[in-house]
Amino acid sequence: MRRRLLAMVRKEFSQLFRDVPMLLILIWAFTVGVYTSGHGGATELSKYPIVVYDLSRSPASRELVSRFRAPYFKLVGSARSDAEVVAMLDRSQANLAVVIPPDFERRARQGNARFQVISDGSQSMMATIAGGHIAGIAGDYSVELLERGLGGAGLGTRVPQVEVRPRVAYNPNLTEAWFSSLLEVFSQTTMVAMLLAAAAMVREREHGTVEHLLVSPLQPLELFAAKLVPVVTLVPLANVASVLAIVHGVFATPIRGSLMLFYVVSVVYVFAMASLGLGIAVLARTLGQAMMLVLLALYPMTLLSGAFSPPESQGAFMRAFSLLSPVRYYVDFGYQVLFKGNGLGYVWLDVAGILALGLALFLLSVRRFARLVR
Amino acid sequence: VGDRILAIARKEARQLLRDPVYLGLAFAVPLLLLILLGYQLSVDVKHLPVAVLDHDRSAWSRQYVDGFVNSEYFRLVGRLDTEAEAHEWIRAGRARVVIDIPPDFGRRLSASERVAVGLTVDGSFPSRGQISLGYVEAVSALYNERLLRDWLVEHGRQGGQVLPVQMELSVWYNPTLESKNFVVPGMLVIVMMIFPPLLSALVVVRERESGTILNLYCSPAGRWDVIAGKALPYVAVSFLDFLVIFGASVGLFQVRFVGNAWLLSAAALLYSICTVGLGLLISTFTRTQLAAMLATFVIAVAPAFTFSGIFAPVASQDAVGRFVARLIPATYFMDVVRGSYLKGGSLTPHLSNLAGLAVYAVVVYTVAWLAFRKRVG
Repeated sequence: MRRRLLAMVRKEFSQLFRDVPMLLILIWAFTVGVYTSGHGGATELSKYPIVVYDLSRSPASRELVSRFRAPYFKLVGSARSDAEVVAMLDRSQANLAVVIPPDFERRARQGNARFQVISDGSQSMMATIAGGHIAGIAGDYSVELLERGLGGAGLGTRVPQVEVRPRVAYNPNLTEAWFSSLLEVFSQTTMVAMLLAAAAMVREREHGTVEHLLVSPLQPLELFAAKLVPVVTLVPLANVASVLAIVHGVFATPIRGSLMLFYVVSVVYVFAMASLGLGIAVLARTLGQAMMLVLLALYPMTLLSGAFSPPESQGAFMRAFSLLSPVRYYVDFGYQVLFKGNGLGYVWLDVAGILALGLALFLLSVRRFARLVR
Repeated sequence: VGDRILAIARKEARQLLRDPVYLGLAFAVPLLLLILLGYQLSVDVKHLPVAVLDHDRSAWSRQYVDGFVNSEYFRLVGRLDTEAEAHEWIRAGRARVVIDIPPDFGRRLSASERVAVGLTVDGSFPSRGQISLGYVEAVSALYNERLLRDWLVEHGRQGGQVLPVQMELSVWYNPTLESKNFVVPGMLVIVMMIFPPLLSALVVVRERESGTILNLYCSPAGRWDVIAGKALPYVAVSFLDFLVIFGASVGLFQVRFVGNAWLLSAAALLYSICTVGLGLLISTFTRTQLAAMLATFVIAVAPAFTFSGIFAPVASQDAVGRFVARLIPATYFMDVVRGSYLKGGSLTPHLSNLAGLAVYAVVVYTVAWLAFRKRVG
């Protein structure tokens, strides 16, 4: 039994290594792909383009404008008319407009100045964050004016205020690349594991060689194991190499936890996702179909993984549904171990989830296949 | 020449229709995504678990904490006693935000002094971290306004506005900031970059795998006939995909649409030509279907998702990001889609985007034409 399993595994490996363009693409995915994802995908407020229409042109208005500064905002123009403001917003040259009325300075001295902010709601995520920031700017400026005694008839210099001193744990400067490059490694791992396994199975069907396997002494369980071995060997290695070389090497993301733990659980995770890929391959007749089914499973799982939307904000149904997604456990596990340096004591639930789902998926796929061939 | 293109297109279309499962899934999966995003999945950050470390325990600090209890953005999950506990809660993810109120909080405020509140945010999800920082600032600003009002009253100034400089915020284009109006148009762009290129990336490579490519090699059809003929049915599928998603988003999910449907459709057609062309190009340089699929994800889908500006304006990216964004068609189409759905239907702002798509199409088909050789080996 061991010899025929080994022979099958050897065949799978050689088939994989023969496809040189595919290997190059895999290498690209885990290097350049991860690198570029760390550069794009801004999901934080940064250089947010604003246009200013200053009708007051006073020291007070200029001081206000000077507070819209980097890294959050970037002044992309000063408008000279309402129409210009509208045009810049319409064309998305600016996503925020600040309009300061002519009597701004006089009224600021009297303590009742207003300025208008027009926010581009088509960027709703950033619009929310930017609105909060500007409210903060207006508040700080107001308090300063009051304390300088500009706010009325010299009301004194001390105003009771609460200041927030934020400290961001694990990522002090909120460096987006730390997060996004790691997320890219996780998603590449997920997709590649599913696709490689599915392709290894469907290929046999497309070429008709599945008949050869069926008449061979190989049991369905052995056949599946043989299909899984190359995927489970190679993908976690690529994963860890990418974490070390790109996520840590290029973006200087601190790796605080045990790489060994991360690697071992990644192996289990790849086993789970590859089993899912095999299960899909049993259902599909062509590689095209298999790919569509892989996407059908992959995208909802990814959306529910907690990486794109906070699990805490979801409704009860979605939260329950997400418990069926191995991606969710892996994303939580990965960030906890690599980022926070947490050990098994913190992530055992994630590990248990991945393990349970992996075993279930593997056994289901094998049974489905065994029934099909009988 | 037109006959040959049409003949190849007809053969390709027939082949597509013969596998209804495959083709059907190319429509079903995007619709499922739409349902998920349109109905159930919330991308808003709400109900963030917050824990409080109140060293003061005065009426002042309780009032401050009430601001968090009453906000829909937070959910108070615990009152802690020690720093170590706070650290532990963040570490285990039981709280995403911990607020640390100093012992002299009430005393300083009652003496009209400033007081600093410590705030610890879990930074493992940076954008969520930034958003929660903003929320805490907002809750504190409300509290500050109240302090200020009381203080002004104490100093004999009542009525009128509290802050000498007040912001008036108006939101245009999507006044309620509803997330589906933001997410669904963005998703349309990405979905059209996933399915049509995936379908077309398998076209040439499949013939190569099954050996039928030799028939094409010895047919009188030229390189351009093959490429154009194979592209046509997939452009049609892609455009249909667009119509289905567009129709469902506006009809079924009531996503706001104020633009010109013709302009959007024209851009979608151009974009389809681009995406299918990219798929064909991938198909010419890969040798197996698996490689073609993976290449599509790496070369077509991933950059579109990362750089096209789905979550934040392209301007917010760094120099590398802005450069890559200009090289991919999704950025141009994203502009037209967001503009059409939410901003309005005038053509002039989008001429440069349409031009960008056209240039991309010319380049991608030229490269595909150069790469596709009617030769064995």
